[in-house]
Amino acid sequence: MSENPYQPVNGKIVDIIDESPTIKSFVVVPEEKIKFETGQFVELTLPGEGEAPFTPSSPSTDSEKMEITIMKAGRVTALLHQCNKGQKVGIRGPFGNGYPLDDFVGKEVYIVGGGVGLAPIRSLFLTLVDRIKDFKSVVCRFGSRTPDDFIYKSDLFGPWQKIKGVNMKLTVDEANGQWKDNVGVVTNILEPNDVDIKNSVAVVCGPPIMMKYTTLKLLEFGFGAENIYLSMEKNMSCGIGKCGHCMIGKFYVCKDGPVFTYEQIKNYPDIWE
Amino acid sequence: MKPVFISKLKPFLDAVAEQMALFVPKKSGEHYTYNKYDPDAEISVELNNIRTCTTVKEFLFPVCELAAVFPDPVEPEEIKPFAVFGLKECDLRSIEILDKVFAEEEFQDTLYIKRRENMFIISSDCFDPGESCFCNFFNGQAFAQSGFDLNVSKIRDGFIVEAGSDKGEEFLEKHSQLFNDTPETLLAERDENRKKTQKQLEQNNAEYLLDIPIKNIIENSWESDVFDVEAKDCVECQACTRICPTCHCFYLYDTKQKDYFTKMKMWDSCMRQAYAAVAGGANPRKILGDRLKHRLMHKLAYFFDRYGLDMCVGCGRCIDTCAGGIDMRMVLKKLNDELKDKGKTEAKVIK
Repeated sequence: MSENPYQPVNGKIVDIIDESPTIKSFVVVPEEKIKFETGQFVELTLPGEGEAPFTPSSPSTDSEKMEITIMKAGRVTALLHQCNKGQKVGIRGPFGNGYPLDDFVGKEVYIVGGGVGLAPIRSLFLTLVDRIKDFKSVVCRFGSRTPDDFIYKSDLFGPWQKIKGVNMKLTVDEANGQWKDNVGVVTNILEPNDVDIKNSVAVVCGPPIMMKYTTLKLLEFGFGAENIYLSMEKNMSCGIGKCGHCMIGKFYVCKDGPVFTYEQIKNYPDIWE
Repeated sequence: MKPVFISKLKPFLDAVAEQMALFVPKKSGEHYTYNKYDPDAEISVELNNIRTCTTVKEFLFPVCELAAVFPDPVEPEEIKPFAVFGLKECDLRSIEILDKVFAEEEFQDTLYIKRRENMFIISSDCFDPGESCFCNFFNGQAFAQSGFDLNVSKIRDGFIVEAGSDKGEEFLEKHSQLFNDTPETLLAERDENRKKTQKQLEQNNAEYLLDIPIKNIIENSWESDVFDVEAKDCVECQACTRICPTCHCFYLYDTKQKDYFTKMKMWDSCMRQAYAAVAGGANPRKILGDRLKHRLMHKLAYFFDRYGLDMCVGCGRCIDTCAGGIDMRMVLKKLNDELKDKGKTEAKVIK
């Protein structure tokens, strides 16, 4: 990392992939290698306009380039959506703590994701798949509003489902004509026997409301709060636990997170808002 | 080196100003603010009896500063030695707090550290604590205990100057011709003054005395509606956080210049409605009372858990400045009484 934590590394957008009507993935090549752990985040700057925090969706094994999946949600993301290949950007980070993969070894990894929450999960998924033998299994339950809203469709609807050691189910809130799979919110496809709860960790990432109800369901299944990993979305700005915008209670999400166990933050009343 | 005596401030301040830029308190209306010292000005310098209105944080962590230039980085600005005169014990404690944040963790703020290293601190005893001063709630004293280069104590016929660091010792040695020895009687007078001021401070705050340790009060008050009730008079001007010597939240923003881009760092306030909001619209503290609660929780509980000290020095500036008349002592007192009524005096701490 640069000595000045506010100094971005210069980079360039080399490819843009349309994922859904409101989501695009940007392939960014930084001028200096940026090594990150899956689950950590970076601040992506659109020069002169502003920066916003994103967890890369590419595996942590690739430090040459970084894929960042971005939903059009605010001012900076809307401007990023208007960018073309070749756009210069700045990258600060990586910041915070990623998923503690070593603690997952030998266990079933139960991943529940929704909407654009699949972005950090893609990075985790590909990193896990890269060393799939280290884990008992990877069990995925992903949801989306409609089939069109799923991101990474070409991987999700085919190749990922066929990986040995992976068990994947998908659901949509509203089906269209072609959809033959599950319909309903993601919590509807969670079953107590999806994984051996005594030897599993759960990873949850998605919109706050989905994270809340998934967590409650996992607790109901008997998951310990210390085995539920949440990737929290707050207003991370400086990335180094100083500026204060991302605080949940005493925690700075940017420095102490963004990955927390539910045990760490369960007593604060405002975590889902 | 023993404390030394000088009858007038001007020769002493002139000697400091010869070496570096010197900032001194100047009365503006009923308050003191800092101004650059001009040795040639005819006006005599007076020693502020009470802390200044503006805070020492402005010297270390300016309202707005350049954080980065890109795509081609530039060397950070050069910081020259400077001196600040008239700081009080509460100001020194606030520096200690800012040091924890910007200079003592794995990420160090280069500009802050440079300013800190180049700052020559001349503190002074409090003489006439304000109605809002409540440093005694945080074990504060009416005189500087540590963290100064030189300390000045006003007595009837002059000033006692004492060194608190090597830099301070060096200064006194170099300018020994300006000073005389301090007889024991004058030191006794100084100690008497200090006791008197401390007593006055305690008297001023008698009506706000708490039965429960402050951290326990705040940690037990998650459910209390006192925050919502107190916040009713808040007009969200954010003055409390800006005038606070320990509040250090900031906002990073980008600018476009002719042939380069910048990242700027500017003070921010957790009392601002959109402060914690994310682009998607979620906001953990939409309600004003929740923001007041977060501000006090951060100051009196979270910061302590992380750094081992309170993030409030009891300077009372937030009380003086609040357009809605919110008094932190009164908030704490109400929470204290509420807990006492419920018979809850033990801490139920959120880990």
